[in-house]
Amino acid sequence: MRKARTLVSSIAFACLLSSTASTVALAAECTSTIKVLAQPRDGLTLLEDYKAEFEKLSGGASFEIDYLNENDRRAKTKADASTIGKYNVYYIDEANVALFASAGWVAPLLDYYPADYDYADFDPGRQKVATYDGKVWFAPITGGGDLMVYRKDLLEAAGITPPKTLDEYIAAVKKLNQPDQGIYGTALRGQRGSGANVWRWMPFFKGFGGNWFDGKTPVFAGEQAVKATETYLELFKYSAPGSQTGGWDEAVGAFTSGQVAMLIESTPLVGMAIDPKSSKVAGKVGYLPPPAPLTGGGYGHGLAIGAKANKDEASKACAGLFIAWATSKENENRRLEANQFSELNRTSIMTSKKFAELYGPDLGQALADTGKVTAVNFWQNPQWPDLGDRWGIILEELITGTRTDIKDGLDELDGFAKELVARSQ
Amino acid sequence: MKQKTSLPAVFLTPAMMILAVLAFVPTVYAIYISLQNRELSRPVGDFVGLANYIDLFSDRRFINAIGVSLTWEAVTVGMTLIVAVGLGILLFECAAPRMRNILALLFLMPVILPRVSAAFVWKFAFHPLYGIATYPYKAITGQPLDLLSNPATALATVALVDVWQWGLFFSVIVLKLLETLPPQPFEAARLDHALTWEIYTHIAIPMLKAPLISLAFVKMIESLRAFDLIYVMTRGGPGITTETLDMYAFSQGFIESGRISYASSMAVLMMIATSIAFTFIWKRVQ
Repeated sequence: MRKARTLVSSIAFACLLSSTASTVALAAECTSTIKVLAQPRDGLTLLEDYKAEFEKLSGGASFEIDYLNENDRRAKTKADASTIGKYNVYYIDEANVALFASAGWVAPLLDYYPADYDYADFDPGRQKVATYDGKVWFAPITGGGDLMVYRKDLLEAAGITPPKTLDEYIAAVKKLNQPDQGIYGTALRGQRGSGANVWRWMPFFKGFGGNWFDGKTPVFAGEQAVKATETYLELFKYSAPGSQTGGWDEAVGAFTSGQVAMLIESTPLVGMAIDPKSSKVAGKVGYLPPPAPLTGGGYGHGLAIGAKANKDEASKACAGLFIAWATSKENENRRLEANQFSELNRTSIMTSKKFAELYGPDLGQALADTGKVTAVNFWQNPQWPDLGDRWGIILEELITGTRTDIKDGLDELDGFAKELVARSQ
Repeated sequence: MKQKTSLPAVFLTPAMMILAVLAFVPTVYAIYISLQNRELSRPVGDFVGLANYIDLFSDRRFINAIGVSLTWEAVTVGMTLIVAVGLGILLFECAAPRMRNILALLFLMPVILPRVSAAFVWKFAFHPLYGIATYPYKAITGQPLDLLSNPATALATVALVDVWQWGLFFSVIVLKLLETLPPQPFEAARLDHALTWEIYTHIAIPMLKAPLISLAFVKMIESLRAFDLIYVMTRGGPGITTETLDMYAFSQGFIESGRISYASSMAVLMMIATSIAFTFIWKRVQ
C-alpha cells in the first residue's frame, strides 16, 4: 500500500514536474513578439483587445499583426516567405495553401497545435481546404461556401419567387434590373485574380461540368468553359457599375448600399447584409443556396506557421500556440458575442443556442443546405494561383470588352497551362 | 603652389561606397538572376542564357506594357508641363502677390499627399455610383460614368490624377521662375505692342528653357515610378490597358507567378532602355 502510494505520488510529481518544465521551456522560448501578416478581419482586430491574455498564456509573448488587403497580402506573404521570412505567422488561404506547403514556406500545423484546442471541431469543409498532401496547414479564421442573397422586398414587388435554378436566376436578374431607379439586377466580380473574378466564374464552370486537368493535361478549354463564360458575360450586362473591374468589396458594397437586387457571393456577405451597422438593406434580405447547377465555392482562410522565421521547434510551438489561442473556442465565442458572423468556423459555435438566437433558424438551414453543394472549384495545385491569375486577366479583358473571342482566350490559357506544367517538371 | 589634398577622397569614399552597395549590388544581382530560371518557390535555378529576354518579345503582355509605358510617359510629362506653364503664367498675370502665395500654398498640397492616399481618394471620387467626380454626369444624364472600367478612358483618368499632383506643383515653380526674370525685356516688348501670348512664347518661355527642360527630366523620371498610383487605381486593368512595364514585372515576380528571373529580365531591359533614352535626350537637349 505504501509502495503504491509512493508510486502514485511519484507519478503525480513527475507529471507536475514535466508540465512545469514544459511551461518553463515554452515560457523561456515564447517571450518575443510574434509577427503576423494578415488581411483585415474583424476577428483579428478583436484579438488585439486580449493581448494580455495571450501574454499570460504564453509566458510573456506578445503579437503584432500587419494588415494588407487580399491581393497585396497574397503578394507580400509570397515574397516574405520565399526571401527573408520576417513573419512568424502567415494568413494563407485555400488558393495558395498548396504553393506554401509544397515550397516549405509553412510548417505542418498539427505538429505544433496543442491538442486541447480541438482542431477537429472546425467545420469539415474548412478542414478540407486547409489540408494538402494529407497534412493540415492552417487553422481557419474564416471560410464557407456561397449563398444566393436577395432583396425580399424587390422580389415580392416584382412577383418573383426566389430562383432555384440558374435559368430562373438569370430571368429574375433581367427583370429586376432597373438602372433608371438605381437598382441593378446583380453584382459580380470583374477584377482580375484567381480569388476575384475567377472565383465567381468557377461555380458556373464546375456547375456545367467543367474540369481543370486530367492528370497533367489541361482539359478546361472545352464547351463548359465557353458556356460558363458566355453566361457570366451575359449576367455582367445587369451588374452594378464599378463591378466590371471591382472585386468582393465593390459587389458587397453595391448590395449593402441598396443598389443590387440579388447576387451569389461568399457566405460572409449575409453577416454584413443583415447587420444594420453595415447595411442599408438589413431586414429585407433573404438567402438560399446557389441556384442549380451552380456549385458553391468552398473556401477557407486561416493562420499558418511560417517556416523561415520560426527557426527552431520552440518558435514553431510558440507560433502554434498563438494560432491555437487565436482560433480557440473561447475567442470564437467572443466573435459570436461581437456579431462577427463571417469569423465563425467551429461546429460547436455554429450549432450553439446563442448562434440560433442571434441569426435565427433560416440562416442555419441555408448554411446547412449550401454545404451540400459546396465544392472545391479550383485546381488544387501549387501552380493554381499562376493559372488562376492568368485566366483572371483574360476574363477581365472579356468583361471590359478589350477582347471578344472567348475560345481564343481559353486557347491562350491552354497554351499557358501547358507551359506551366512543362516548367514544373 | 597647389598642395595635394586627400580631402575629396575622404568625403567621396563613404558616399560612393553606399551608392555602390545600394545601386551596384542589386543591379548586378538582377542581371545575374535574369540569366537563370529561378522562381520564388524554387530558389535554386539553372542558367538559361538569354532565354528570358527572348521569351519577352513573344509575350503579348510585355509588348502591350511597352506601349502603355510610353503612352503614360508622353501623356503625363506633356500634360504636366502644359498645365504647369499655363497655370504659372495665369497666376503671374492675373493674381496679386498675396493671392499668388495663397494659391501657391494650395497648389503644393496635392504633391505633399502620399501617392497611395491620392490614388485612393481619386478612386473613390471616380466611383460610378458614389463618386463625387462622376456625380454631376450621373445627375444630368441619369447614367453612371465608369471611367476606370472603360478601356478607352482608364489610362487618361489615372494620368489626370498624376497631372493634378505634379502639374499644380510645377506651376508654382514656373510662377517663381517667372518672378525671377528681369522685367526689362517684358517692358520693351509691351512698348513694341506685343500681345501677351507673344511676350510669353517669344520671350518668357525661351528665357526659361533650361529650367523647363530640367523640370521635364524630373517629371520623366518621376513618371517611370508611377506604379503605386496605377496599382491602387486600376491594378493594370481593365484587362491590361493600364499595365505598365514596372507593374507587369512586379506582377510576374510577386503577384501571379513568382517568376523572379523573368521579372528581373524585364527590369534589366527597362534599365538599359531608360539609360539609353535619357542619355540620348540629354545629349540632344544640350
